[in-house]
Amino acid sequence: MAFSRYLIILALVTGCILPSGVQALWPIPTTLETGMTTLKISPTFYFDVQIEGAPSDLHDAVTQSQYYLENDKLGRLVVGRGANDTTALANARTLSKLTLSLASGAAVEPISSEAIKPLGTRSEEYALIIPADGSAATLIANSTLGLYRGLTTFNQLFYYYRGVTYTLLAPISIKDTPAYPFRGLGLDTSRNYYPVSDILRTLDCDELGEAIQINTFHWHITDSQSFPLEVAQYPELAINGAYSPQEVYTASDVQYIVEYAAARGIDVMMEIDTPGHTAIIAATYPEYPVADFANEPPAGQLRFALPEVMNFTASLLTSVAKVLPSHYFSTGGDELNTNCYANDYLTEQQLNRTGMTLNGALDAFTQTTHGALIAQGKTPVVWEEMVLDWNITLSNETIVMIWISSADAAAVAGRGFRIIQAPSNYFYLDCGAGEWLGDDPTGNSWCDPFKTWSEAYTFDPLANLTEAQYELVLGGEQILWSEQSGPQNVDSIVWPRAASSAEIFWSGKQPTGAALNVTEALPRLHDVRYRMVQRGINAIPLQPQWCALRPDACDIYA
Amino acid sequence: MAFFRYLIILPLIAGCLLPSGVQALWPIPTTLETGLTTLKISSAFYFDVQVEGAPSDLRDAVAQSQYYLENDKLGRLVVGRGANDTAAFATAMTLSKLTLFLANGAAVEPISSEAVKPLGTRSEEYALVIPADGSAATLTANSTLGLYRGLTTFNQLFYYYGGVTYTLLAPISIKDTPAYPFRGLGLDTSRHYYPVSDIQRTLDAMSWVKASINTFHWHITDSQSFPLEVAQYPELAIKGAYSPQEVYTASDVQYIVQYAAARGIDVMMEIDTPGHTAIMAAAYPEYVACFEASPWAFFSGEPPAGQLRFALPEVANFTASLLTNIAKTLPSHYFSTGGDEINKNCYTNDHPTQQQLKRTGMTLNGALDTFTQITHGALIAQGKTPVVWEEMALDWNVTLSNETIVMVWISSADAAALVEKGFRIIQAPSDYFYLDTGAGEWLGDNPTGSSGPFRTWSEAYTFDPLANLTEAQYELVFGGEQILWSEQSGPQNVDPIVWPRAASSAEIFWSGKQPTGAALNVAEALPRLHDVRYRMVQRGINAIPLQPQWCAFRPDACDMNA
Repeated sequence: MAFSRYLIILALVTGCILPSGVQALWPIPTTLETGMTTLKISPTFYFDVQIEGAPSDLHDAVTQSQYYLENDKLGRLVVGRGANDTTALANARTLSKLTLSLASGAAVEPISSEAIKPLGTRSEEYALIIPADGSAATLIANSTLGLYRGLTTFNQLFYYYRGVTYTLLAPISIKDTPAYPFRGLGLDTSRNYYPVSDILRTLDCDELGEAIQINTFHWHITDSQSFPLEVAQYPELAINGAYSPQEVYTASDVQYIVEYAAARGIDVMMEIDTPGHTAIIAATYPEYPVADFANEPPAGQLRFALPEVMNFTASLLTSVAKVLPSHYFSTGGDELNTNCYANDYLTEQQLNRTGMTLNGALDAFTQTTHGALIAQGKTPVVWEEMVLDWNITLSNETIVMIWISSADAAAVAGRGFRIIQAPSNYFYLDCGAGEWLGDDPTGNSWCDPFKTWSEAYTFDPLANLTEAQYELVLGGEQILWSEQSGPQNVDSIVWPRAASSAEIFWSGKQPTGAALNVTEALPRLHDVRYRMVQRGINAIPLQPQWCALRPDACDIYA
Repeated sequence: MAFFRYLIILPLIAGCLLPSGVQALWPIPTTLETGLTTLKISSAFYFDVQVEGAPSDLRDAVAQSQYYLENDKLGRLVVGRGANDTAAFATAMTLSKLTLFLANGAAVEPISSEAVKPLGTRSEEYALVIPADGSAATLTANSTLGLYRGLTTFNQLFYYYGGVTYTLLAPISIKDTPAYPFRGLGLDTSRHYYPVSDIQRTLDAMSWVKASINTFHWHITDSQSFPLEVAQYPELAIKGAYSPQEVYTASDVQYIVQYAAARGIDVMMEIDTPGHTAIMAAAYPEYVACFEASPWAFFSGEPPAGQLRFALPEVANFTASLLTNIAKTLPSHYFSTGGDEINKNCYTNDHPTQQQLKRTGMTLNGALDTFTQITHGALIAQGKTPVVWEEMALDWNVTLSNETIVMVWISSADAAALVEKGFRIIQAPSDYFYLDTGAGEWLGDNPTGSSGPFRTWSEAYTFDPLANLTEAQYELVFGGEQILWSEQSGPQNVDPIVWPRAASSAEIFWSGKQPTGAALNVAEALPRLHDVRYRMVQRGINAIPLQPQWCAFRPDACDMNA
């Protein structure tokens, strides 16, 4: 036992004597070949876009890459931060340009158009070649979206020491394609409001900023506590339901965020959670929700059995969804509390009149609301209870999100639904901050403990599934619920942790074919974190800096 | 059972029908009387300093108070943020000035001098009276430090709506004096470096919780880095800091100490010895045993391994000289030599240590005793009172002067054993007051590891500083502190991980109890702590929300049994 442990340690120690070829990249590419030659970025380096009619958002992306290349100024995470590289830099070759081209016959569309195509039809793969002799590097893809992914990878390859931007690992050859089509990050903007600038900063991290290849922003925009979304047809919802007139996402804010995201390869999947998580709608339509019981204060859920509530909800969702380019829209459906309706006269009266059960009424409600979304060309997305607890009739296209437990994926897949993995026991970013309800000083957070990056990283998206079911897994996301979060800690609570799922769902495995491994990943995640800090994101340190500069020295058995 | 629970809820609900008089203040004053009259701050409002020869740091504090009064612009934490108060504005009286006095015969000294006096000799009490009729408010104290405490209380009383700064609670009468002399906040700047500006911002926030946090416990060095420039031993920082940019120069330290003192805060520095010193090996390899030994877990609490060879006379003399060199430049009467988590395995096969023990016939424990005598003797010679962690008294039974202050950290249960030995204690128990726990394992290759539960503000708030002590021992409790160890923290999260949580201990040790005499109570405290948090955010501190904003505007609506 002890002997084998030492063997493992030896292998690790040996590993860190070599320049760590993969230390730079996150998520790790599908295939990766690196050499041991030092290559400097020329002071006249430029991106040569060999694409006729290149869209303006590709040009913007190139400008941004140039900016990061010049301004990241990230020292290598080794003792001395690159001081030992100076001799190699003295006679190193220089790289003068990266040529971007599309594969022959590829259509030239804006990144923002490619980013919102249906899942499974987007082309995100790319090939990046950086020769060691200083001749032009090349980036080739089948779409501008693929080029964008490759640009962000290119930026991760370079370090800085005393005026020189360089890699030690030329030649470099990368072919890269995502393992799963959906790689998300969820944010709740109802429990506490986030100004637009905070959302934009978060989207920067997703893509342009850190190249961690997250492609979906799951925007849980409303909930029982506040309704910060301005809806053209129902302006009173935000007027009466937002925390303040300043804490509203106007229609133009939403469009701005959606466009900003799309130009960064990110689709915005909005969620209007119904029929639960809607108490604050009562501020405008007091007759629609019933206020009695809930999982957290305030209580209040839509009276989904009433035809006028169904029609209102369908109309509301239509009004919100029709202005969004995404093909996906979530109607939520989690944590419906049946106690809420037990003594609700209006609901009971309607059920008596129609002879429906509560479950039947929910089925009818969902048919109505989903029907309205499908009529808008949207694919409905729901939380797992809709299938597992309520057995609602859902279209086959419906995507179901796992949250209660990772153990629930198999049952949902067993019903033939496509799933997004957001299990609270791995991927909830809010857990572990203790009880937030008042007057309960010894309480824990309901999903205690805190989910570390490494715990999240060990999530297996295919656990307990049959091989035939694998294709039902579209991907997954980490998500921040905001009972105890706001603009003040969004950076530090999300980053770099949310990079864990990005690698699980982009890479799936190591380039060698081996399974992802926390020990291999940690030095690269330090790299992600330090580069984020250079770019102004308040990503937290994962270990003392002493450890970050000495890969594996702070492993538990080192 | 259920009935009894409702009985508890009823008085809480009744309490929140009244304009919540105490919602504004943290920590809650010793005595507090409020009325129901609206009083506006006049647009010509000024602070009238009736103190002859008022020191410049008092003038600065007044200017700062004026600035906050004009710029906090904090809306009341109610639905509408004060929109319902406007009717009362029309007929409200205005307050034109606050007059500051020192009591007859009180010496006029700078705040920064008062703030660094020995514990127990500082005068922090004050009296603040704000009449309802618009006549001058008065703030009286026995020292400039007391006036400073009163100014921060004054600032907490006012809200803002539509261009008007006001209180709904005039007349207001407060007499306030701290329950315990030591109220601290600890920060480790070795595992990660914090730029001077981050420390300044933290000191600012400490001074805002009614200036009740009066000690910055600066754990400046540890095994991972030595970011302190020491005049006589420059190599320690040159070789031991993470980088030349991540160093506290001698002038940085002086700047921080003065910045703190002007805000009523004493800086108690800690150079942890003989453990937590591995990185000294970068400059003095011969002084450190088991440096970077592997597996580290056998030799050390965390990587890297390495501890001072305390048995060697040259190491004891070096350490005494080092501590003297640092301590003599600091105005505080207190200096911590640490002494926690010494790992004996580090010395078992350390040839220089074993050779020395053999030559002298000393045990390891005896050698540690000698080492401590030498290092503490050097500090005492500089007029400093040594401070140590609890193991020095409980595990090693080291000979310590009676003046020594011992810090409790391993468990709140250890306080009783220390006072039993007659030591004065500072309460920093990890089971209530550690701000770093709950973030999960930070060591690599251990994805299912834990770091124990997160200590919420409310759990910390339930700490009883006198638990398990006899009444005769109460006076040995100097106070306490919450502390942030920085394995997983840095400038990026210092605000959200510290604030508003660190206000919990500030109230425990300043107020001790409610003005009614009742024990502190989390349900009563929460609305006031929301207030602290929202005011901090207005002042640019990234203090985290404690609950959804919906709850912050509706006191008690989100209580567990509401």
